[in-house]
Amino acid sequence: MTAHRRQMKLGAFLWATGHHIAAWRHPQAHVKAGVDIDHYIRLARTAEAAKFDMLFCEDAAGVREADVNIASQTSRSIGFEPISLLAALAVQTSHIGLVSTASTSHNEPYGLARTFLSLDHLSGGRAGWNLVTSASHIEAANFGATGLRPHADRYERAREFAEIVTGLWHGKLDGASGSGHDGQCFSVRDPLDLPRSPQGAPVMVQAGASDVGRDLAARTADVVFTAAQTFEEAKAFYGDLKGRLAAYGRGPDDIKIMPGVAPVVAETESEAREKYEELQELIPDDVGVALLSSYLSISDLSRYPIDGPLPELPASEGMQSRQALVIEQSRRDNLSIRQLARHFAGARGHWRIVGTPAQIADELEARFEGGAADGFNVMPSYFPGELDAFAALVVPELQRRGLFRTEYEGRTSREHLGLKRPA
Amino acid sequence: MHLAVSLAQGEAPSGVQADAGLDFSLLARFVQKAEAAGLDMVLLADSAPVAGGDAWSRQVPFEATTLLAALATVTSRIGLVAAASTVAHQPYNLARRFASLDIISHGRAGWNATMVPDPREAANFSRPEGFSRDDFRRRAEEFIGIVQGLWRGWDADALLFDKSGGRFFDPEKMHLLDHKGEFFSVRGPLNVARSPQDTPVLVMSGLSEHDMEIAARFADVILLDEPLDAKADDLKRRALGFGRSPGEIKVLMNVAPGAETAAGPDVIADRLEEPFRSKSCDGFNILMPPVLSVLDDFVGLVLPELRRRGLLRSDYPGATLRSHLGLAGEEEQ
Ligand SMILES: Cc1cc2nc3c(=O)[nH]c(=O)nc-3n(C[C@H](O)[C@H](O)[C@H](O)COP(=O)(O)O)c2cc1C
Repeated sequence: MTAHRRQMKLGAFLWATGHHIAAWRHPQAHVKAGVDIDHYIRLARTAEAAKFDMLFCEDAAGVREADVNIASQTSRSIGFEPISLLAALAVQTSHIGLVSTASTSHNEPYGLARTFLSLDHLSGGRAGWNLVTSASHIEAANFGATGLRPHADRYERAREFAEIVTGLWHGKLDGASGSGHDGQCFSVRDPLDLPRSPQGAPVMVQAGASDVGRDLAARTADVVFTAAQTFEEAKAFYGDLKGRLAAYGRGPDDIKIMPGVAPVVAETESEAREKYEELQELIPDDVGVALLSSYLSISDLSRYPIDGPLPELPASEGMQSRQALVIEQSRRDNLSIRQLARHFAGARGHWRIVGTPAQIADELEARFEGGAADGFNVMPSYFPGELDAFAALVVPELQRRGLFRTEYEGRTSREHLGLKRPA
Repeated sequence: MHLAVSLAQGEAPSGVQADAGLDFSLLARFVQKAEAAGLDMVLLADSAPVAGGDAWSRQVPFEATTLLAALATVTSRIGLVAAASTVAHQPYNLARRFASLDIISHGRAGWNATMVPDPREAANFSRPEGFSRDDFRRRAEEFIGIVQGLWRGWDADALLFDKSGGRFFDPEKMHLLDHKGEFFSVRGPLNVARSPQDTPVLVMSGLSEHDMEIAARFADVILLDEPLDAKADDLKRRALGFGRSPGEIKVLMNVAPGAETAAGPDVIADRLEEPFRSKSCDGFNILMPPVLSVLDDFVGLVLPELRRRGLLRSDYPGATLRSHLGLAGEEEQ
């Protein structure tokens, strides 16, 4: 094994019963995942034993589906609030990073900075915050009557929010010395009342891929989580984002780009395909179409013929980048609404690979070596089985190729990720 | 008699050696000892920047709800109550955090909603002008009502987990809150399942005369400073007015026995027995610094004396905080 070969970073993306929308119906999925902390402790230990860089949690401060009938056919309406979940996992693990998503639209910076710093202390320097701006009307309705703020406003708020949080973490915001924050969206007077982070500052992760989203990431993020289907898309995003760093006085290694990947792995290719088909068979059409609608930021896709093409869609105030990705895919592969819905139900627009450990390692290696990724956020289709399978089959293959660590580099998230410790 | 310990903010009693570096393992040992002693619950204060103070809280490098989650995984019986302010959170987020903590702890979580507005806190939460006392109170009342409403958004038997039928939950058993009030508007439902103990325990503290009405309406446990005879009666009478039975509210008196430990366990036991027998409270909240030797003294000397007098149960009656407090529904007690 070459001593100083660049190695990929891996996140274990935890979500409910699994990332496949019908995961919970799979005979081997743990259907009570959302109310069973021991299940999560087990997943965390599996990921840590496999030397994953981090556990990654998505978040929404609200149920996902507006329609209760659709919601009731998925497992996504209940689960653990991720910061409390990760705080519990912090003391049940020793090395793995703990990243939670939290919204700049539905929090205040002082409280969020403080909570993540507390998680960082509980874990000995393993916490990270995935900054999102939240594009859901349902969430917005839990925080006031005025509805979802426009895309540009959400990012304006996010920029100020991130500036305050990093200022607080880096000890650069101190009202006592006259440098409190008094801005457009927020005002903060005091420094945080907790000691400085064991890793200098919690890791800043960002997901959001529009032009403003990328700029914000280039300015503040240590890690970027993104969705891409093809190698070309992933490479274009990678090049674009790394290219933006210089403008903020940062170098290409200061940011790790980790696209999502949804692997379905088995010892043989036919077993893997069977496993995938078995999951696809469990998707009810109305659930698939509703999920697709939400990623297209359109409420009523169900009124178009399901075997017809995707209609023309207005520009979105929701997730612009994901909408573009879906539309692009529908054109490229000439897919009907039904086909598109089933395709997206498996991985929500993320890259999916079905195959043997060697095939999956080949694909990951190609994107990693080809300038399209620094690592991957792994999205097992159901838990615990598919995380176990990735840890048991794919990780050793990557390690054999020298592409992934066999031991943690240190104790903190920044050490694993090879990120500078902030001064 | 119900007993809670609070990790108190304040100076260590003179002569007590502070433990070096308040890290998680020390706090874990503290809470595990309190659990071994059979105490109902530990109250975790949430630090806030206190002007010029060198409070104990400053040495606890944790925010209370995250600390609670971590402690929940290293204990199994004792109730865990975290303070969280209505200024620092949105009601949806706070309801969700505690609902989650309650599942992580298998029904042992509580929220201590303090009613003392901290102007300094407001200034860190984009309210440099602060709140008037009256606005703060009306806002807190609305806030608490929303939180409890969200906690009840899923019926206890809502989750079906029916893989073959394709129904994860029963749509009839999920309820929107659709709250539109003076300060907040919240659609709901919460995206966390119903609590294993029905709802997390709501503890209220720092009450002024005007807050009694809110406490009588919402609280499960009320912490009062002494003297409190009249107040405890008054609270229970007011609870009747909200259709609650007096037994649905437990009044605990804050005591800081610190210096008296030297005076001997008898003196302390006397001091706890008297108000308890006269029914002016249901138990006590013992304020103590997070110092193991202080807890050891209390557990080793005072608790045996209370048990000898038949004032204290010797083991947990059930699995949840509500059952420890005698607040659980019939099936659990
Ligand atoms: C890969 C990826 C993951 C995301 N995860 C979340 C999430 O967990 N919760 C959330 O509210 N928003 C999430 N978002 C949404 C973004 O925060 C943002 O609101 C949305 O993408 C709109 O911004 P954009 O147009 O810049 O992409 C995610 C976005 C991307 C690209």
